[in-house]
Amino acid sequence: MIASLLLLLPLLGAALIAFGPAGRRDVAGARAGSRTGPRWIAAVCTLVTAAVGVVAAMQFEGWRDGSFGLHAGVDWLADLGITLNMHVDAVSLLLILLTLLLMPLCIFASFSAITARQREYYGWLLVLQAAMTGVFLARDLVFFYICFEFTLVPMYFLIAIYGGENRARAALKFFIYTFTGSMLTLAGLLWVAWAHADRLGTWTFDIPTLTAFAQSGLSSGEQAWILLALMAGFAVKVPLFPVHTWLPLAHTEAPTAGSVILAGVLLKLGTYGLYRFVLPMVPDAVVAYAPFIAVLAIVGIVYGALICWVQDDVKKLVAYSSVSHLGFCVLGLFALNPIGVQGSVLYMINHGLSTGALFLLIGMMYERHHTRDMNRIGGLARVMPVWSLFMVFFVLSSVGLPGLNGFVSEFYCLLGAFTASVDAQTGYPGRLGPWYAAFAGTGMILAAMYLLIMTGKVVFGPTHLPGGHGHGGGHGGGHGGGHGHAGHAGHAADAHGDGAALPPDLTRREIGVLIPIALLCIVLGVRPGLLTDALARPIEQALAASAAASAAATVARPQDADTGGGASGHAEGTGDDLPRADAADATGDVVRERVRG
Amino acid sequence: MTTLFPMLAVSAEGATGLPDWPIAAPAAGFGWAGLILWLPLLSLLGCGLCWLSGTRSKLPAWITVVSLGLAFVTTAVLFTRVDAPIIIHLFDWLVLDWRSEAGEAGGFTANFSLYVDRLTLLWMLFVTGLGTLIALYASEYMAGDRGRGYARFFAGVSVFLFAMSCLVMGDNLVLLYLGWEGVGFASYWLIGYFYTRPSAVAAAKKAFIVNRIGDLGLALGLYLVWSTFGTVEYQGLFTALRNGAAGEALLHGGWSVQAIPFLLMLGAFGKSAQLPLYVWLPDAMEGPTPVSALIHAATMVTAGVYLLARLFPLLTLHPAALPAVAWIGGLTALLAATIGMAQYDIKRIMAYSTVSQLGYMFLGIGVGTTFGAAYHVFTHAFFKAVLFLTCGAVMHGFAGQLDLRRLSGLRHMPGWRITSYTMLVGCLCLAGFPLTSGFFSKDAIIAEAFSHGGTGAAMLGWLALVVAGLTAYYTFRVWFRVCAGPAHYEMGDEHHGDDAAHGAGAGHAGGHPGGHPGGHAGGHAGGHAGDAGHGGGHGGGHGSHPHAPGIAINLVLLVITACALLAAIPYFLPSGVEGVAGGWVAGMVAGSSAAAGLPASGGAHGTFLGLDPHTAMYVVSAAVGLVGIAVAWRLHLADRAAADRLRGRLLGNPALRWLPVAMERKWYVDEIYDALIRQPLWVLGHVLASIDRIVIDLLLVDCTARLPRLLARAFQPLYGGLLQSYALFMAGGVALVALLVLFMPELIAKLGTILGGGG
Repeated sequence: MIASLLLLLPLLGAALIAFGPAGRRDVAGARAGSRTGPRWIAAVCTLVTAAVGVVAAMQFEGWRDGSFGLHAGVDWLADLGITLNMHVDAVSLLLILLTLLLMPLCIFASFSAITARQREYYGWLLVLQAAMTGVFLARDLVFFYICFEFTLVPMYFLIAIYGGENRARAALKFFIYTFTGSMLTLAGLLWVAWAHADRLGTWTFDIPTLTAFAQSGLSSGEQAWILLALMAGFAVKVPLFPVHTWLPLAHTEAPTAGSVILAGVLLKLGTYGLYRFVLPMVPDAVVAYAPFIAVLAIVGIVYGALICWVQDDVKKLVAYSSVSHLGFCVLGLFALNPIGVQGSVLYMINHGLSTGALFLLIGMMYERHHTRDMNRIGGLARVMPVWSLFMVFFVLSSVGLPGLNGFVSEFYCLLGAFTASVDAQTGYPGRLGPWYAAFAGTGMILAAMYLLIMTGKVVFGPTHLPGGHGHGGGHGGGHGGGHGHAGHAGHAADAHGDGAALPPDLTRREIGVLIPIALLCIVLGVRPGLLTDALARPIEQALAASAAASAAATVARPQDADTGGGASGHAEGTGDDLPRADAADATGDVVRERVRG
Repeated sequence: MTTLFPMLAVSAEGATGLPDWPIAAPAAGFGWAGLILWLPLLSLLGCGLCWLSGTRSKLPAWITVVSLGLAFVTTAVLFTRVDAPIIIHLFDWLVLDWRSEAGEAGGFTANFSLYVDRLTLLWMLFVTGLGTLIALYASEYMAGDRGRGYARFFAGVSVFLFAMSCLVMGDNLVLLYLGWEGVGFASYWLIGYFYTRPSAVAAAKKAFIVNRIGDLGLALGLYLVWSTFGTVEYQGLFTALRNGAAGEALLHGGWSVQAIPFLLMLGAFGKSAQLPLYVWLPDAMEGPTPVSALIHAATMVTAGVYLLARLFPLLTLHPAALPAVAWIGGLTALLAATIGMAQYDIKRIMAYSTVSQLGYMFLGIGVGTTFGAAYHVFTHAFFKAVLFLTCGAVMHGFAGQLDLRRLSGLRHMPGWRITSYTMLVGCLCLAGFPLTSGFFSKDAIIAEAFSHGGTGAAMLGWLALVVAGLTAYYTFRVWFRVCAGPAHYEMGDEHHGDDAAHGAGAGHAGGHPGGHPGGHAGGHAGGHAGDAGHGGGHGGGHGSHPHAPGIAINLVLLVITACALLAAIPYFLPSGVEGVAGGWVAGMVAGSSAAAGLPASGGAHGTFLGLDPHTAMYVVSAAVGLVGIAVAWRLHLADRAAADRLRGRLLGNPALRWLPVAMERKWYVDEIYDALIRQPLWVLGHVLASIDRIVIDLLLVDCTARLPRLLARAFQPLYGGLLQSYALFMAGGVALVALLVLFMPELIAKLGTILGGGG
């Protein structure tokens, strides 16, 4: 029951906001007190939901054994077996908790940034929260897909209404691009459901049932097609090179909260999809194509990092860094061993925290100085020491400084990829190996380069602010009231002089938003066991199918020259000859043969 | 290689050929040793609070000095309590466990645990000891920055001490890696201390990034260790190695196992500023001088030596590994010494000298004398700290003046006597003057290179001898120029501290102290001695007079100088381990995994021109050092014009003109790296950004999207954000899904026939 509360509470909040008061339109008035505006409804609603989430986490019994819990749901279209069933395991519950943490922070962070059209803004944010929670909660395929797609709608409006100058194009591109990909994903998922109905005679959209069926009931050729279809949607969402170009645009144009949620949660829908559907459903194809996908991930890591290096717009830089970082996440996933997948799941959480915080910080800077161009702004350490402290901290977390959260996940992802060779120490033979980790590891160096160069320009160096505002410490708010939000939300006719309302350095509200994230970064860096212990069993189960497929493939395949010995021995082939992944072109033929046969 | 270098090498048959070394076992009741890590963290917390409160007192300095002092005391107590190596478990950190498909249990463990053997203690004693002393020195040196900068500085020092303790004391490679990156970060923090100065920001960045290249090597080496031996904990690793796992791994793992020593080496070369990754260290001199002394001379840069000494048994996995270490070390020593000879900035000369001396240490490791390397680390820590701290005192007193052409006769100036003579002691040690600590430690390395046997090692021995001469020359070039000769100075144009608060108008005030009667300068110094510094009032007029160091600086200089001199004594103390010669330090090394690198008594012995190298070297290297000093005396004290004439003659000679220029321009290494690595990558970044924008986004995505975009126009009314429209949208979506679901079987069947027909 508590699971449905997680879904319904934000919707309830959204409804309250939709029919509630419109909220004061100037920050100064709002600062003074009115606690009934949409933003306070939203804040209270997300906080209550977060509290419910904590209760749910305490009630959840599958922390150690990897089982699913918190079941809830109703039937919907019983004839087709479509339900609104929900459940969570440790992985999805952690991602829900991440969502529940980020949402109130986003709302508090928006207090001064969003002053016009508050009702829609906070309403859509809550709807978005419900949709994201639904994705992680869903036990039913159709339910999953509806939530998955529905995240697009609120985000579309958040970007299109509250975004930067190029917001219309960004919103549209974001919507169309990801929607197109997801349609193919839907086709793939429905194929599985149809195959189930076709071969077993009953329609069901129950994800565990379908997963179990797909692992064994689909031929390798079918699996390859389904992998392709699923990847189409999930890879766009992640985003994996080369289908990433919507991301920098959307990130750059989105309002701060939008960017935080995009980076923090929406991208994770893609990796979560890979984890929940791709790995267990089509294990043979995953094993066959793991090197190919890993290469795409590595290209994304290096390519994204090099592009970051030449950006002038701080926000765009952080956006491209997501392309690079999520490459690590996918790489770890397709290492197909517990270390890599642990790293990958941790990466989902950690990237949400540190990159989310970076976006928050950039938003805070933008609200004060109305620029994100590194050539126009610099040396903020003097003007905004507290902001700078947080900036350096989260940059370090993002760079992967050991002791902070980012290191653990990056370390595991790389170690996972490194040991994912045929004769792996882990006991999980994989298709990657040292070279994959070595090339991906260059991303570590490049990340240090682009992030520290950014820090060097924005935080350190001689102070210079846009508009010729003075050097040295104590200039005040820096902007007269007339500045308004001209560049920020130029459409808002009722321009408002909130620039003066913000002090040069962070306010208590803003510090309060950042501190929980910072604390989590430290805690997860020092005690990652809090998460990894809970994740161990679910990950083992998610990997069981691909491990079996991989073991079979290892036995069947003649020994690779470059992977060295180890795999010889019991070579009674299981007959399951997989299409070789490095011959990607040839696979089409193989698949076609299978479909015919 | 093997014929040139008869090395200890693991053969594929599994015989290690390594002497035994003690391996630690877990011990209970030592939890208090964790204080060595927690005290610096407490100090960080305290400094953080001071930063927040913005206090202008010296509280951050005292918090740090007391915490580090207590950490030193804890280390000393640990030293007295620990005989056999032990492991102290603090808490679980990275722990994974799983069952494989086949049902086998697997796991990865890297805990916050300490591996305490005598090598650990040797390092920790001088790290915490020097850390305390240098923090005390900095309490005065940084006094001009009291306020947030002061707290920031000491917070950085605390972070450094924490990270360095993790690096040295960690019981596994991942904790070492944490420390490794942590000290890199602390170094970034402190080099970039004067963050409004672009050169400091650039230097900090460069240090971090170049170090990261090495770090990647270390990380990959770590992965390879794990995937070969199944553990990253020293205990398990050493046990496996001793049981012949190395030979087995070599049989099965092939080249990838043999890559382990080279990857670890890459990490060591990055952190310890060796070829090809040394370029960050000279730039790191942008940091405040106490930082240069502590991090970039005495402690952090020796982490690479520690790594290779600690993992010495792994270095035998490839027969070329140790020779590679030796050659890199030898060549770095030579290169850095030649650059150091031609520089004018005394702090930079010391930086290149550090690079050069680190080269000696690697040379020592490479020829198999972990004792020589460790001893040189130990002595170098003290005498190089003295040299840097005296440079710092000069810089502090002369408003940033570091050019040896603009300073002279310091020892004749009132208040500068201690600085001058402590610097002399430092120079003597560095030059390897007989009976100083540097003399013994350097000899241990050079002699071992000769006695090691083999042509390659002997060549390196000769190389090291030449570098010893160069070292003596450039060291005394500094001392004869700055401290000896007629008194003369020009002030620098720089003021530590809040550069916004201080006018930049101090300018150069050339002149002779004759013009400033002793009473004036002395009174000036005296006036400051009371508050051990010069607070915020260090602007305009004061800038034209030097002010001599105060009590804290002088005290610390004297104590560390005493340590530098006394560091010769351990050479004569009993090692406490049977059959190990070389004194106390050798005994410390013998109690650790580095013992595998101690020369086995009666092993292969080369000779030095037919003599016993160890005896001969006392005389030969002393002579070489004295020659270097004599040349420096001739060129830089007796007849300073001669140096200029020599330079002029070289520049006038078309065949040799390039030499002094190339040396002054540091052999253009920075420029070469820039042209070969940074620029191409930068261009590539721009190219990729354009490809991303034009090819991928515009051509591929947008053109493909034209059709759906037309459709999307229909959705644009939704733009208004009305809730009704959202409801409509949702209803439409659900209907679409339902339709798709209903007609899916037919669709699929159609698709199947199409594909079937098409294939």
